[in-house]
Amino acid sequence: MSVIQLENVVKTFGAVKAVNELSFHVKRGEITGFLGANGAGKTTTMKMLLGFIKPDSGRVLINEKDPAVAVTRKQIGYMPEIAYYYPYLKAYELLRFYGGLCGMTKKEIAVRSKMLITKVGLTGAENRELKTFSKGMLQRIGIAQALLHNPDVYILDEPFTGLDPLARIQFRDLLLEEKKAGKTILFSSHELSEAELICDNVVILKEGKAVWSGTTAEVAGDGTQNLERVFLKMLAADANEGEAI
Amino acid sequence: MSIVICQINALIKVSLLELYRRKDIAVVLILGAVLLLPLSFVSPFGLSGAGTYFNEIALVMVWLFSIFIALGVSSRVFPYEFEKRTIYPLLAKPVGRGVVIAGRYLGALTAAVSALCLFYAAYVLLCGFKQGIWFSEALLQAFILHIGLLAVVVAIGMMGSLIMTTSANVTISILVVFAMLLFGASLSALAATQNLVAKTVLNIANAIAPHIEFFDMRQRLVHEWPAVSWLVCAAVMGYAAVYSTVCLFIADFFLKRRRF
Repeated sequence: MSVIQLENVVKTFGAVKAVNELSFHVKRGEITGFLGANGAGKTTTMKMLLGFIKPDSGRVLINEKDPAVAVTRKQIGYMPEIAYYYPYLKAYELLRFYGGLCGMTKKEIAVRSKMLITKVGLTGAENRELKTFSKGMLQRIGIAQALLHNPDVYILDEPFTGLDPLARIQFRDLLLEEKKAGKTILFSSHELSEAELICDNVVILKEGKAVWSGTTAEVAGDGTQNLERVFLKMLAADANEGEAI
Repeated sequence: MSIVICQINALIKVSLLELYRRKDIAVVLILGAVLLLPLSFVSPFGLSGAGTYFNEIALVMVWLFSIFIALGVSSRVFPYEFEKRTIYPLLAKPVGRGVVIAGRYLGALTAAVSALCLFYAAYVLLCGFKQGIWFSEALLQAFILHIGLLAVVVAIGMMGSLIMTTSANVTISILVVFAMLLFGASLSALAATQNLVAKTVLNIANAIAPHIEFFDMRQRLVHEWPAVSWLVCAAVMGYAAVYSTVCLFIADFFLKRRRF
């Protein structure tokens, strides 16, 4: 069953077609990497998946529901690319705030926060204001807030940015753990090696169009290919767009 | 329904934390207290009647500071969310934009009212020490109506912040609030003496502008006049509720239309 569905989605800003007839599905329990150069339309697509903006045409569905409806977003855990959090809040206050927005009880918030603070490696920093956090620490609290309400679907925008090698490994393991628990994950990234390591599927976006999508096994092909090669080939293929690998 | 209350509660709490961890609000509060409290001990030239003037000065300061705090707080909430992009993770949660408006509004109003409580505490000290009046019905009414005033001012500031830039919003809001405070009561009388076009414009302004003067009990407090009817108070608070609600609906309309 497809948890994330985009069907012929078009989004235009003035004369610019940010997303052009984009279609792809993500099945339950799969990790999908959403790749593309800057300006390819990844962020616009993510904004539509979160219901921030509506497509001009086509359908965007999360668990067959419209993400623009608030209650649908209870199933979504979102982590923004840059840590857009309130700097005057302490780490546990931020989690308490987001937990409250998700309708969690005080007890649920306390239990999940404690577990996630440990899981993302922020033990001892929970009582510090976020303005004193490093970029990596902010990414970690971002991960914690996305996982806080135990959603079905994770939409992660450049989740590996700013993480040190150890944190990357921890985060990668965390995503694989969530996958095992049946969670569906879509993340955008420039980190092709990370995508190759953990993704079941990848979608490569260029000028708002999906120019390639398939499993990571298909990327590997006969063993002579890797995601980086495919990615570069797809981005370079202006004349013969969509050419077979 | 319970999830909406939970969400509004979370938004109010975070608004309060935000406002009290920002030092500029503390500066206004300290400044207000520093200006108000000494008035309670001063007796210039040994004139006993001078207390009335100090009372008036103290009330003007309470009004000015409370309006500045209310506008300062409410006009920055959404521009800050947009500028720092905290609006993204906020709206990614299962919270409707209308709930965000309501929560942020109540948070800003709670903060402004808590500052007002401090100002009124200082004012009561002033009246107590100067005139031996620690409580009066008119004082209670003035305080309640002042909360109504802040409800309207915060709603105007919040609505404006979603329509125009922060500086334009603050300037226009201050002009409207003080213009209505000074001339609101005479607008309809002024309209009656004008030609048709001016009369129409003034009548429209009279209908849509916030009647800040409704909330003004200062003269009653200064001259120790009796309290007004509680029915009048209730009607004015009803006006505040309706006016604020209309402003918040307009704010909601603009937030829903906003492209992120």
